[in-house]
Amino acid sequence: MAKIRTRMGDGAVVQMDADEIKRDIENGVADAAKKARVDPLTDEEIKRLYEIVTDRRKFVSVEPGNELVLSYDSMPMKLNRVGIPVDRPNLMRVFERGFGADMLECAYVHYSIKPIKVNLSEEVAFFAESLYGSIAPILYGAMPNMGLYTKPDGPCENAAELLPVGKIKEAQEAQMEAAHYLYEDIMLVAGAMYEAGADGFNFDTTAATGDAEFYAVLTAIEKLKEKYPNMGIEVGMSGDFIFGFHGEVEFHGKRLAGMFPHQQVKIVEEAGASICGPVVNTNSNRSFAWNLARAVTMTKAASLIACNPIHANVGMGVGGVPMCVTTPIDCVSRSSTAMAEIAKADGL
Amino acid sequence: MGKQELFQEAIDAILNCNKEEAVNIANRSILEGADPAEMLNMGFSAGIREMGELFGCGQVFLPQLILGAETMKAAATILEAELKKKGDVKKVGKMIFATVAGDVHDIGKGIVVSMLSTQGIDIIDLGRDVSIETIIKAAVDENADIIGTSALLTTTMVEQQKLEEALKARNLRGRFKTIIGGAPCTQRWADKIGADAYAEDAAEAVDKVIALLRV
Repeated sequence: MAKIRTRMGDGAVVQMDADEIKRDIENGVADAAKKARVDPLTDEEIKRLYEIVTDRRKFVSVEPGNELVLSYDSMPMKLNRVGIPVDRPNLMRVFERGFGADMLECAYVHYSIKPIKVNLSEEVAFFAESLYGSIAPILYGAMPNMGLYTKPDGPCENAAELLPVGKIKEAQEAQMEAAHYLYEDIMLVAGAMYEAGADGFNFDTTAATGDAEFYAVLTAIEKLKEKYPNMGIEVGMSGDFIFGFHGEVEFHGKRLAGMFPHQQVKIVEEAGASICGPVVNTNSNRSFAWNLARAVTMTKAASLIACNPIHANVGMGVGGVPMCVTTPIDCVSRSSTAMAEIAKADGL
Repeated sequence: MGKQELFQEAIDAILNCNKEEAVNIANRSILEGADPAEMLNMGFSAGIREMGELFGCGQVFLPQLILGAETMKAAATILEAELKKKGDVKKVGKMIFATVAGDVHDIGKGIVVSMLSTQGIDIIDLGRDVSIETIIKAAVDENADIIGTSALLTTTMVEQQKLEEALKARNLRGRFKTIIGGAPCTQRWADKIGADAYAEDAAEAVDKVIALLRV
C-alpha cells in the first residue's frame, strides 16, 4: 500500500499508510469527544478530514467564499524574530499592505501586561503613531502572564512552591492576590491604549497560569466593557482545558477549572468579549492526523455553541499544528482548511 | 476484613484526600496482618495513580492532586515504618530534578516531583532555570541514581542534549540514568540525544523512573 507523507506532532516527517491515518483520525476524534464530553465528528466530516490530511499537495486551501478572517497575536515580533528588524508602525503597514491582514495588532516586545505598565507613556506614543499609517482595525495585545506577579518576578508568594509542601490555602490566597494585581494592570494598560485610539485589546494565552488568571481577565473584560462599551476585545486562550491551579475559582457562579473550549467560549462571551480564540494543544508524540482530528472536534463544538466569532488558534503547537519553531506550511494549510470547512471557525 | 476491601478503602481515602482516614486504614491493615508492601502498591499507590488519571482528564485539579499526594505520604510513612521493622525496606533510589536553564516552567515538574515522592524515591528538586553545571554537581554530590530534566520550550530543550554531552565529556554518563520530559519532548528526542527514558506525563514518569531504578 502506498505510503502518505505526513508529520508527527513534533514536526518530524513520517510516512504512514491510509489505514494508520484513518485510525489516528478516529482516535483523535474519540479522545476529544471523551475528554471534552462533546459530540464526535460525523462520518462525512471524518471522511473530509482524511481527504485534507492525505492530499498529496504541499499546500491545501479552501474554495473561494470560504475564506477566514485573520487576526494575530504577537504580530510585531513575527518579523523581528526571524531577523528582519522593522519598527512597529512600518510593521503594521507590512502586514496590512503586504500580507493582507484583516486585523492588526500592536504589542510590546515583552508581550506581557506587567512590563508594559513601566513604559506605558512611551508605548502609547508608539501605538498612536501606528494608527496614522493603517486602515485596518488595530488592537493592542498582551499576554496576561500572571506568573510575573509571583516571586521571584513579583510580590506574591509562588503557588508552585507552596502547593508541593501542602500549603493549599496559602497557595490559593497567593494566586488571588496575583489575580488582583493583574486585574488592576489590565484596566490601566487596556484603558490607556483604548483612549489612545486602539480599536480594541487582544488577550493572548489567556489562563496560561490557570483558573485564577482566567478569573482576572474575565473580571477585567467585564469592567472594561462597562467603561468602554464600544471596545473590541479578543481573547486568545492557552489550552484546551483550564488548568485548576487554584481549583475553586468561579466566575458568574461557574467553576473555571476544567473548562474545555466549548465552555471557555461561552464564559468569555458572558464577560463581554467580542471574539474568542480557542486553543487545542498539540501532543508532540502523536501524529498530525491525530492532533488535527482532536483540535477540529473540540473547535467545532465551540463554534456550534458560540454566538460571537471564533478565531481558532492555528500556530506552533496549537490547532493541530506541530510544535516546532518553523511551522511547516503543509500542516498549517491543512489545519486552516479543516478549521474553515469542518470546525466552522469564523477566523484564525 | 478481606484484602480487596482494604485495598479499595485505601484507594478511596486517596481519592477523597482524607489523610485521617488513610492513616486509620494503614494502621488497621497492620493490625489485621496485611502485607505493608501490598497495601502500598495495590491500595494507596493505586489510588494515587487513579488520581493522576482523573487529573489528566481535568476532573480533579492541582490542589486535589497535591492533597492526594500528602494523604499518600501520611499512609506511606506508617507502612514504610512497618516494612523497616520487618527489614523489608529497600531504598528505592535518589533523583535530581530540574527545569533546564532559560526555562521557568515548573508546574508539570512539581506534579511529577509530588508523584515520585510518594513512591519512596528521594527527590532533590533544584527548581527552575538550572544550569547544567549545577545539575551535574548536585548529582555527583548527592550520589544520585537518576537525573531528570524538564523543558517546556523548543528553545530550551537543547539544554537536555547539552546535559547528555556534558556528562559524556566528564566521563560521568555511565554513572547516572537520565530521564526527560516537557511538552516539546518526545521519545524520538530522547533517542536522538541519548537520554535513557522519556515520560509524557507524571503517571508515566513514575513508571519509567521505577523501571530505571530496577535496571
